[in-house]
Amino acid sequence: MNKSQLIKTLAERLSISIEEATVIVSTFFDSIKEALKAGKRVEIRGFGSFKIKEYQGYTGRNPSSGELVEVKPKKLPFFRVGKGLKEYINQ
Amino acid sequence: MSEKTLTKADIVEEIYEKTSRNRSEVKNQVEEMLAIIKQAIKEDYSLLISGFGKFEAYDKKARKGRNPQTEDAITLPSRTVCVFRLSRKFRAEINPQQ
Repeated sequence: MNKSQLIKTLAERLSISIEEATVIVSTFFDSIKEALKAGKRVEIRGFGSFKIKEYQGYTGRNPSSGELVEVKPKKLPFFRVGKGLKEYINQ
Repeated sequence: MSEKTLTKADIVEEIYEKTSRNRSEVKNQVEEMLAIIKQAIKEDYSLLISGFGKFEAYDKKARKGRNPQTEDAITLPSRTVCVFRLSRKFRAEINPQQ
C-alpha cells in the first residue's frame, strides 16, 4: 500500500472526502517529521516510537577500491515497533 | 505539547486545528488510520509513505537458540517482524549539511 491508497481507504471507511482524509494522513506524517527534525522523540501507542540516533563520523574504506573515505557524522531516525503492532502482525 | 516527546494526542490536536471536527472525532479518525496502516503492513507486507519512509514486514524462520542464563537449548518460534526504511528525501532533510 502507498500513501494515496491509504488516503483512499481511510476516506471510504470513514465516509469522508478525499480532501479531509488527505489532511489527516499528511498532518500525521508531517508532525512526526517535524518533531524528529527538532530532535524530539515520537511515541504512537500501539504502533511504535521514533527517535533520532546520532552517529559519529569515521574514516572508512571503499571496499572495492580500498580508497579512504571520510564518513561524516549523521542523524538517523530509528523506529521501534510497538507491542500492539508486533502482536497484531503475528496473529 | 510536551518538550521532548510527540504523542498521539499532540497529533490529534494538530489535525483538530485544521478541520471542523471535534477532538474525539479526530481521535477516532486517527485510530482508524492506524488500523489501516497496521492491516497494510500485515497483509501487504509493505506500506510506502513517499517523502517519509517505508514500513516493511518479513517472516523469520524458527531457529534454535539458547537461554543465556541456563544454557538450555530452546526453539525460538517463527515470527513476522516489522522494519522501517527511511526515505532518502527525509534523510537529506535531517542531515542538510551533507
